[in-house]
Amino acid sequence: MLAPLFFSLASRSFQRQIAYRAAALAGFFTNFFFGMLRAALLAALYNARPEMAGISLAGAVTFTGLTQAMIGVQSLFSWYEVMNSVYSGAVAGDLLKPMGYFRFWLAQDAGRALAQFFLRGLPMMLFYAIFFRITVPQTFGQWMAFVLSLGLAWLLCFAWRFWINLAGFWTPNALGLVRLGFILLYFFSGFLMPLRFFPDWFVQLSAFTPFPYMVNTVVEIYLGVLQGPQLLQALAQQAFWAVVMIGICQLTLSAGVRRLVILGG
Amino acid sequence: MGLYFRLISVQIRSQMQYRLQFVVDMLATMLISVASFFTIAFVMQRFGSVAGWSLGEIAFLYGMVETSFGVMDLLFSGFDPGNFGRQTRLGRFDQLLLRPASITLQVFGSEFTLRRLGRIFQGAAVFFFAISLVKPHWTLPHLLFLPFVFLSQVLFFGGLFIIGAALSFWTLEALEIVNIFTYGGTEMMAYPMHIYPSWLRNFFTYILPAIFLNYTPAIYLLNKPDPLHFPAYTPFLAPLAGFGVFFAALAFWNYGIRHYQSSGT
Repeated sequence: MLAPLFFSLASRSFQRQIAYRAAALAGFFTNFFFGMLRAALLAALYNARPEMAGISLAGAVTFTGLTQAMIGVQSLFSWYEVMNSVYSGAVAGDLLKPMGYFRFWLAQDAGRALAQFFLRGLPMMLFYAIFFRITVPQTFGQWMAFVLSLGLAWLLCFAWRFWINLAGFWTPNALGLVRLGFILLYFFSGFLMPLRFFPDWFVQLSAFTPFPYMVNTVVEIYLGVLQGPQLLQALAQQAFWAVVMIGICQLTLSAGVRRLVILGG
Repeated sequence: MGLYFRLISVQIRSQMQYRLQFVVDMLATMLISVASFFTIAFVMQRFGSVAGWSLGEIAFLYGMVETSFGVMDLLFSGFDPGNFGRQTRLGRFDQLLLRPASITLQVFGSEFTLRRLGRIFQGAAVFFFAISLVKPHWTLPHLLFLPFVFLSQVLFFGGLFIIGAALSFWTLEALEIVNIFTYGGTEMMAYPMHIYPSWLRNFFTYILPAIFLNYTPAIYLLNKPDPLHFPAYTPFLAPLAGFGVFFAALAFWNYGIRHYQSSGT
């Protein structure tokens, strides 16, 4: 019933993103530059080894491209919109909208993510295909699994970003806390290096957090490291964490709204 | 100079008003560099070395550049292109222009972001960790040279910030491209630069002399072989590169100010 509203919010947000083309271009080249540095570092680490922990050098280079492509799509480094709207007071009007507050932002983030996918994500993989030797999923099924996994990763990552932003309901300056939330994501998601390259205890530790399912799982499915039952299990874990995280968001949100005081002007 | 210290002390007092906030912010800044360093340290356990450089030697490069960038970021945050661009758009720069004091000094004193101390502490810790691993046999010339390398790096990065700030007189939307040189430069300089493709390395040798600030001095200080076969005096070009970029940046900044046209907002 509310689907038209969802789509219109998403498409507005999409258009807003598309409007800032020069910024997107600058962002794209920055992401690509860092990708080249990361690819060079991995090549130096591999140093003529054919593979490491089941990932070939071409796979590792592809990993840098995929993760750099995901920065914009998943908004991995920063997203303070909900916090800012609490501070600006815009939250008051938004809460009155005929739509849940979480869904209201989810719709806008869907539009943002889709725009970033076309502005930065897809071009990144094209650039990588031109400049480097990269790998692609081998079967149709693997492509489907990758797309599904990317979607779930976005949903989960959005829920995490939304949740840490809710700190704005409790403290007048939540910037540091939200930043901490992004650092956890940065460290445990397997963004910097494939998690398989880390010591076993670190991998086991990170598996108890939602973070690997935001980046690492998507990468492993794309690279074909996860196959058959392992792949299905990974998708199920992503879905499980997305549901849990959305539940936590709703609970925290209702607690936050109860203590929210809006000053009339 | 009296004016500068007045401006800075106001900054420090205001940031210390929210002490908990300050601690959280500083921790967040520290953790982000801790996460990056731990990642490379973990991964090197598996791979052994980066193109012939051990963990201690990588930590040396990394600690040097993190500390000097941190110190620069603390001192020069008034010129931080992102922040300065925002201030310019809001018309704050126009306000500064109206005051009867040196504009460069005012911008220099307009920000003093104490939370950068987090990055400095972390960089220094990595640096001393490197020294404890590598145990270099330093003589007096080495020890006298080290502070010059450090100062040159601070001035080099400071110069890049000033160039970025000056660019915002012409463009605001594409400012993120400056990140390639500032944050990209730090990332690049944290590893032995012979790992990068030659066109990229040549750019950072002959156009922007980043290679002379950390990599070639480290070759001398750590007594490493030079696979790029630079002349023997190359390590000592660091001060020339650092001061050179800094003064060129100041010249560009002054040129920018002479041609600055306010948008009138």
